[in-house]
Amino acid sequence: MDGFMRIVRLAWSYLRIGIANEVQYRVNFFIQILQSFIALATGLIGLWVVFSQTTRLGGWSQPELLAVMGIYMLMGGVIQSAIQPNMQRLMNEIQDGTLDFTLTKPVDGQILVSIREFRFWQLTDVLVGLVVIIIAVFQMQVRLGIGQALVFVTTLLLGGIMIYCFWLILTTTAFWLIRIWELVNLFQGLYAAGRWPVTIYPDWLRIGLTFLVPVAFAVTVPAEVLTNRLTPLTLLGAFGLATLLMVLARFIWRLGVHSYSGASA
Amino acid sequence: MPVTIIEVSDLSKHYKVPVRQAGLKAATRSLFKRTYNTIRAVDGISFTIQPGEVVGFLGPNGAGKTTTLKMLSGLLFPTAGDPKVLGFQPSRRQMDFLSQITLVMGNRSQLSWDLPALDSFELQRAIYAIPRAEFIRTRDEFIELLELTGLVNKPVRNLSLGERMKVEIIGALLHQPKVLFLDEPTIGLDVTMQRRIRTFVEEYNRRTGATVLLTSHYMADVEALCKRVIVIHNGKLLFDGDLAALVDRFSAFKTIGVTLANGFGSFNQYGEVLDQDAGHVTIRIPREKTPDVTARILAEQHVDDMTIEDPPIGDIIEKVFAQKSAET
Amino acid sequence: MKRYIDFYLTAMKFAVLEQVQYRAQNYFYMVGMIVEPTIYLVVWTTIARQQGGSVGGYTTGGLAAYYIVWTLVRQMNVVLTPYDWENRIQHGRLSMELMRPMHPIHWDVAYFAGWKFVMVFLWIPIAVVLSLIFKPTLNPTGWQVGGFFIAIWGAYLVRTMMYEMLGLITLWTTRVSAIFELFFALELILSGRFVPMTLMPAWVQHIAYYLPFQWTFFFPINSLVGSPAPIDLLTGLGMQLMWILIGVAVVKVVWHFGIHRFSSVGN
Repeated sequence: MDGFMRIVRLAWSYLRIGIANEVQYRVNFFIQILQSFIALATGLIGLWVVFSQTTRLGGWSQPELLAVMGIYMLMGGVIQSAIQPNMQRLMNEIQDGTLDFTLTKPVDGQILVSIREFRFWQLTDVLVGLVVIIIAVFQMQVRLGIGQALVFVTTLLLGGIMIYCFWLILTTTAFWLIRIWELVNLFQGLYAAGRWPVTIYPDWLRIGLTFLVPVAFAVTVPAEVLTNRLTPLTLLGAFGLATLLMVLARFIWRLGVHSYSGASA
Repeated sequence: MPVTIIEVSDLSKHYKVPVRQAGLKAATRSLFKRTYNTIRAVDGISFTIQPGEVVGFLGPNGAGKTTTLKMLSGLLFPTAGDPKVLGFQPSRRQMDFLSQITLVMGNRSQLSWDLPALDSFELQRAIYAIPRAEFIRTRDEFIELLELTGLVNKPVRNLSLGERMKVEIIGALLHQPKVLFLDEPTIGLDVTMQRRIRTFVEEYNRRTGATVLLTSHYMADVEALCKRVIVIHNGKLLFDGDLAALVDRFSAFKTIGVTLANGFGSFNQYGEVLDQDAGHVTIRIPREKTPDVTARILAEQHVDDMTIEDPPIGDIIEKVFAQKSAET
Repeated sequence: MKRYIDFYLTAMKFAVLEQVQYRAQNYFYMVGMIVEPTIYLVVWTTIARQQGGSVGGYTTGGLAAYYIVWTLVRQMNVVLTPYDWENRIQHGRLSMELMRPMHPIHWDVAYFAGWKFVMVFLWIPIAVVLSLIFKPTLNPTGWQVGGFFIAIWGAYLVRTMMYEMLGLITLWTTRVSAIFELFFALELILSGRFVPMTLMPAWVQHIAYYLPFQWTFFFPINSLVGSPAPIDLLTGLGMQLMWILIGVAVVKVVWHFGIHRFSSVGN
């Protein structure tokens, strides 16, 4: 418990630094919120074009798709503010060979490289996403109980964990492949698939999305919670996959560090 | 054909830099009222250079050497002054002007990293529209001169630092420019490589009569290549003339090295002791005292050998800057 | 003139040589790129199936054809991203390019043009796989094929001018991301990148006709996939030419002022 509290305090310190660094540039806030609105407008126009041609997409109605989009933006904001900056920095340090400084610190390497960076202003996406979700839920005219809300938050957390693990595994391959910027591009492209509920994709693509890139779990599953589509099996699957990915990410991380330290003798 | 190839008169480059202060109050204030400092990177320098000269620009970091070079090559617009290079106004960046000059900056690379140098040379040929026969002749000549046969076929990333610098220089000179602007060309290279590059530049100057402007930190570059030096400090021109004259004017001291037959007394009585170990002493004395002091040492000590030298040029330059800084 | 032809050929060959070295990276880049149209294709095919097999005049086969040709057109209209200008300026590459006795834009155009030969070559197997999966229906006439080949290069040049102009903004300010993202969003909606323009409401199509965007995506794709009459093809190519000429003029002017500023402030 003691070690855990230390880590929490450390994460909080990094968070404070990250926020302090960014808050002084208030202009960046306006630029970011503008970008969030542009992304929102683009998404809404996309939905509008789709719904000018049909009333339902793969069984999902318009407000339901709006909810999906809201979750997509929210998760996107979390990735942009907390996950991607850390993974990018890790990748750069591996390429430059400066990871040594990080690995010799008295904190677990994996944790350290995952909490160092925080882009505060990217949270505008989270804010906008949240607003969209609320509006969508309102439009859907469903009553959300406390239980459902809790499950929703849980699936969001699980989704976030899965995306983090996946990014970490991807970035860790830089230990061996060095130039993996293109893999990152690939991921970002695949994440864009999460904008739509994965049920519309053909089976082979869906399996890929669900297991190779936990996009489905991060976006569609929480949406299923809100739209009363969630099955206990899926929820169980989410827990299972999250656990599996955490174990896998840890394993590959240690493998990577081992080979890195061996090489830079 | 103009008689002077580079004409600079009252050249200046001033930058307006906003003043930034720490603290929230100052930051808010700066939103409404911006205060500026003027940085005089180059402040009213004048000189002319004749065709075929090899001129060295000396000065500490931030003195204005690179800024001057950039203004002469057209990359930077001067704040004042109307420099002329090859009869052209550099900032107009006319094609005829650009085809006759070259700018080599020590730590910047023009060639493709992953391809053999030969491929990059071919690209240079097309960019500068060099007639093919002439291009092949020039290229092969340079490759031989710099002992790069066989290496120009390997990807540039596989070459050593010195070899890379060599191919960069070839790439920069394939179009046989009449004016060379070399900014710290030997930076980061080992002594042998530095010498090689210097010899090549010298050879190029000899064969083509090109004019060379060279900035460097390394006195050895300047000593080896330049008969004429221009010393720049804080944007101002401190000295323009022969290297030998520089030494004469600014070196008020001589260094005497004495090798002793046996034992030694205190040499402090003769002058400032710079270095002392078993059997050898180095002292520094004011120039005018040389005959007196040498006579005394010879009379009073058991001298095996004695040398009388000018202090290293680097020291001289350092003293010049220190002097000028103290004055301003 | 001959000098420029020589330069373009040499620079294109140079680009091919360099990009062949980066085969693996190019492949990954391309695979990442096809995810986007695949998503759109799936969305619209789902809608088509729901409506009994077609939407807005596009059958599932027609949609597949649209989005697979999309991938080729996309390869062809890849240009320098405006975000790269910041790198270019900071690492001194712009200064180096300014020392050449040739406008730097020639280098951009020539290099990317050469690169395309490598990309299209790598694209062919991907197109085959996509066709096997999504079964496109495609029956172009000879006119259409000819028009297509010209249109894809026209699209490249139109887009080059648009993005060069956008990138030049970096010479005045580095806070460019909002402007760029706005531009990308407009392009996504108005170019036929997200959905064939004929599926958009009439008034949107009308506006889009007078903007440069759809001449970089929809027009070339549609020349092969749709059924334009030869006169439509010629008009379209004419519009491309017009936008290229306008683009060149604007870029020249903006460039002049941009470089003036760059050379006054220095780097």
